[in-house]
This record gives sequence, structure tokens and C-alpha cells, in this order.
Amino acid sequence: MATVTIRNVWKYYGETPAVKDLNITCPDGSFVSILGPSGCGKSSTMRMIAGLEHISSGDILFDDVRVNDLAPKDRDVAMVFENYALYPHKSVYENIANPLRLRDVKEATIKERVEGAAKLLEIGHLLGRRPHELSGGQKQRVAIGRAIVREPKLFLFDEPIAHLDAKLRAHMRGEIKHLQRTLGTTMVYVTHDQLEALSMADYIAVMHDGELQQWGTPSEIFNNPVNAWVAGFVGEPAMNFLTCGIKGEGDKVSLMHRNFEIPLLAGQVRQLNGAAQTGTARMGVRPDALSISMTKPDEAAMRGEIFVNELLGGDMLVEVALDDCRIRVKTTPEFAGKPGEACYLTVNRDKWHVFDAGDGHAYF
Amino acid sequence: MTDVSSLSGSTRDMGAQLFRARAHSVEVEARPRAEISHKPRNFNPPLPKHYYFYLMAPAIAILAFISLYPFFWLIIMSLQDVTIGGGEWVGLKNYTKLFTDARFLEGWVLLAKYSIMCLGLQVGLGVTLAVVVNSSRYEKYLVTALLMPMMMAPAVAGLLWLFLYNGTFGWYHWLLQSAGILDSASILAGSNTAMYAIVLVDVWQWTPLITIIALAGLKRVPRDQLEANMVDGASPLRNFFAIILPNLYPVLLIAVLLRFMDNFRFIDSLLVLTGGGPGSATKILPVYLFEVAFKFFKLGRGAAIALTLLLVTILLGKLLVRVFEKPQGGKG
Repeated sequence: MATVTIRNVWKYYGETPAVKDLNITCPDGSFVSILGPSGCGKSSTMRMIAGLEHISSGDILFDDVRVNDLAPKDRDVAMVFENYALYPHKSVYENIANPLRLRDVKEATIKERVEGAAKLLEIGHLLGRRPHELSGGQKQRVAIGRAIVREPKLFLFDEPIAHLDAKLRAHMRGEIKHLQRTLGTTMVYVTHDQLEALSMADYIAVMHDGELQQWGTPSEIFNNPVNAWVAGFVGEPAMNFLTCGIKGEGDKVSLMHRNFEIPLLAGQVRQLNGAAQTGTARMGVRPDALSISMTKPDEAAMRGEIFVNELLGGDMLVEVALDDCRIRVKTTPEFAGKPGEACYLTVNRDKWHVFDAGDGHAYF
Repeated sequence: MTDVSSLSGSTRDMGAQLFRARAHSVEVEARPRAEISHKPRNFNPPLPKHYYFYLMAPAIAILAFISLYPFFWLIIMSLQDVTIGGGEWVGLKNYTKLFTDARFLEGWVLLAKYSIMCLGLQVGLGVTLAVVVNSSRYEKYLVTALLMPMMMAPAVAGLLWLFLYNGTFGWYHWLLQSAGILDSASILAGSNTAMYAIVLVDVWQWTPLITIIALAGLKRVPRDQLEANMVDGASPLRNFFAIILPNLYPVLLIAVLLRFMDNFRFIDSLLVLTGGGPGSATKILPVYLFEVAFKFFKLGRGAAIALTLLLVTILLGKLLVRVFEKPQGGKG
């Protein structure tokens, strides 16, 4: 159990910065997910926490103790690797027992702890096998077993379920979250899958190009993204963006597009704060903050043409062509529109976002 | 898989069968799963066996001429008392006589001593060097430098070391004598030191081979396993024994096999250096075989010794493979 503080950390590979001035504090006992696309520096960050990678500049602290110069074995962390990294020449039992053996724990204690961990992960019947005799999901459980057999200060999970099939992945998400709650140990979980981060983490650190974009709870990240990049990365299906003009003055401001004009809500005008009143802005709307109908509901509706319908089981995703751009709308499977037909989109203005056309920061 | 046999029976029907299989599979699609009575046909039936035979025939013929023919001649010779112009059948006499031949038995003991010393030193040193080279920034240059001894013809290497060991102007001789380790006798003339001297030459020339092979093995040691073990709490030394060494076993097996077979065959440098002497202190079996066959021209007995040597080499090779494969636990 530990609070992990990352303070002004930089990581350079040669001349290339991989992590730029990172500041994160993971509270004790929390589940923190570092989310970002590949090459964003999230794995470098995790490897620096583990001690596998040199820290170019800045400090990493566990409970106010600087660990920069400690070897991995002295940091008291447990890590689960993306490729499981099981030892092929050792049995499952020996794989899980390895961290204890390296610490010269008594044989009786090892047996008890390994069997306890195996029971928790439901792999008790596999203890005699070798890693090559296991399926992907089983290997992944063994890797987790190796991490939890000891009581480390910190868990580091590096995309542990990225290589499992979709169904098993969904199952393991719940399992890992439950495990972390049960053990109460601080966990740093690296992933590129926004769904994993949203569904499991207490806090998410979104990274892009080596920089921390946003730190917050999953609902903060999802509902109040700080910029257009975060808004576009988080959420599936992805947010729709439309470049619009801003027109109006005083407390009557609206977003202009070739075929619609939507007024902002009163509070939102204040948030826009006169910043870009004469320029352009990017409107961002999630597919579920839009509603679609075949008849014109009101003046503020956007007129478009149905491009394609995708039935996703319980939902229907309709792609609507709006002049030269496409907008995706989530609706019910009962929606009867056919491709090629005209339709109207209404924006739920409580849930839309406006971003700066230049640097992409969010006004609201 | 019963379909395969029916296909391979006659190649002429193959086209027709393939066509039918295709038509059949379309029909199967529409029916529920439980009613499928025929498995889909194998679309890549094995080619008839004689086809492979024709392809391999030239290679087999050449191999037979340069390898099998002499081998069978060797067996015949080992059963004869060979003289110029012919031989006289003596049955197994050449073999039975070996058991009472003190030089032959001593040759085995010396060969075992020589091989074990060479292999032990070469593997130990070779792996250590590989680890050092692997973690060095100057890896490329070091590898080039390491390769040099291997480039040298063994006989030339022997001559080179002959100078170094020389009792009058030899550099090593002088060095050892100055350090008080060696008394005045020449290195190669001392019956104790001669064996170590020839081992050293072999180690000097062939350790790089083990290093190169081990280096290749080190490159494929999975990094994540090393890192996992480090996070688990292993020191670099424990990491070496727990992860690196088990991963090196398969390549080390090849290296050791190569070197041990070479030890049983290569006597070039040894002949140049000591010729088996002093007395018979370095007369390992291959040297003795060389003497019997090509100095005393007892070709029949020589053939018997050679075949014994071959048999032991094969058996030891098998044993070695078995011992080394064990810690792997059958990977995939």
C-alpha cells in the first residue's frame, strides 16, 4: 500500500522525449489507469515506476520516499506484463512461487500463499502444468498470481488483457477490478483501451505524445474532457466533431453551420466567455447525445441524409452525411430510416461540447 | 483422414475427386450441422512417394559415393589384416586385440581427460565472454577480434604456440619460469605440463566459437522474462542462473556437441606441438589411431579403432542431447 507520486518526470530516448514533465499522484489504495494510444509514453512511465527504465529527470516517490535510484527488486512492486512473461522452464506453481523464493520465504509459507493465490484466481488445478500447456487466459491468471502472491506496495499492470479475446477480456475486467478492491493495494494499470480504463479505474491519466492531457475520474474524463483530443479518444463510438462558425453577441450566441444554426444555452455563453465570438470553433457531440427523426422537429435541427445503418444488437448506429462530413448517431433498433433518405438530427445541448478551433481546449 | 488414402491411391482420379469435393461442399452448406456425413476432402493430398525419391536420387548417389562407400570399406578393413595389394580375413581379431592393448586403453583415458578439460574451460569461459561482449558497447569490434583465432588453420596455430612454449626463446616459458611456477624443463617436454599446454591451445582457438554461439543465444533470451524476474526480486546473478542459463541450454547443446566431436577428430595442432609425447603423455586416442594406421600402416587395426571411436562418439552425442533436453521440459 503506497501513495505514488510522479513529480516533473521526463524520459528521453536519445534526443527523443518520450515522457514530458509528467506530474501524477496516485492516492493510496486507488486504481489508476494510464490511458493513451501506442507511443504516448504510458509504458515508459510504468517502466520508470517499476525501475526497469532510467528516469531522465524528475522524481518518483512511494509514500514520500524517493525511489529513483532503487533497483527493481528493492522497490517492492509487482508487475504483470503484456506478454505474461512466464518462465517456460518452470511449472505454474514455481512461476507463482518465484517472488517468494527470491525472498527466501519458508517453504510452508510459500505453499500456503501460492495455493491461496491459485484459489483466488481459480487456477488451483493448473499448478502442476508448464506455461506452454496453458491457454492465454490461464497464462494471464498465472501472471496475476505471481503478482499477488506477495503483498507488494504497488501493482503495475501493463496491458495485461490486451491479448485475450473480447469475451474473456470483458470477464477479466471485472475480475481484476474485484481483485484490486479485495486486496486494497494501489494499482497502476496501463492500457490503450479506453473502455478498460473507464470501466475499471478510480482515476484515469490520459496521455498523448508524452504529455499528460487530463487527470480525473472516469466520469470527469468522459463528461468533461479538457480538450478535443481527449474527447475524441475516450468513448466508443467516438465523438463527432464539426467545425462551425460562432455568431451572436451578448447572451445570444449560436453555432453556425451551412445547414443549421443552434443557439448555446445561457450558462454556456458565459463559459465561452467571449473568447472566440467572431471566429470558428469545433462542436463535439457524442453519438448518444444526438437524436434522429425523419420529420423536422424544430428550427435548430440539422438536416442530413442517412448514409448507412449499423445494427449493434441492442442499439442502432446511424451514419448521417451532412454535406461533406459524416455524423454518427446512436438510436434504437426500431429506427426505420433507409440509406439515402433525408433525416433530422437534434443535439442534446446539455451534453455537447465546444472546443477551440486552434489548440482544441474545451470551453465546455 | 480416411479420405486421404483414397485420394493418394490413384493420381489420375484426383482432379475428378477435387471437383466432386467442391460441388459437394456447396451442397453441405445448406444442411444442418448434424447431417453432414462426409468430412471435407483434403485439397492438398500428399504426393506419391516415388516422386520424392527421384528428387533426392542425385544427392543420395553422391552421398553414397563419398561417404557410404568408404564407410563400408572401413568395416571390411576392420575385419581384415590389410597389406598392400589385398587383405586376409581375420574375423574379429582386430577388435579382441584392442582390449589387451594398453596404449589403446590409455588413449581413451587421455582423450576423456583432454575432452573434459577442453569442454569445461571452453563452455565456462565462452559463456562468460559472451555475457561480457553482449553488454559491451563495442560488441561488433570484440566479435571481430574474437573470431581471429578460429580463422587460423589448426596446424598453424600449433606452430605458433610451439614458439610460445619453446624452452629457449618461448615467451610463455619465460613468463612462467620468471613467476617461479615452472622449473627449468620445457613446457611441452614435461609429462605433467604437456597435457595442459595442448588443452590451452584448444581453448585459445575454440572458446570464441562457444562465445559466438552463446552470444546468439543471449540475443533471444526473452527480455520480459528477465524484467519479470527483476521485479520479482532477483539480483543480476540469480537472474543469470534462473532465466539466461535455461534459455541458453539449447544453443549450448549445439556448441558442446560440435566441440566434443571436434575433440575426438581434430589432432592437427596436437601433432605439431607434441606428436603425442613426451612418451605417451598426450597420446589421446585419435593420435594413437593416426600412428597405428599411418605410421605403422596397420590399416586393419586402425579401422577397428576408428569404428570404436565412431561408435562412442555417437553414443556420447545421444547421451548429451538427452541430458541437455531435460531442463527444457519439451517446449511446444
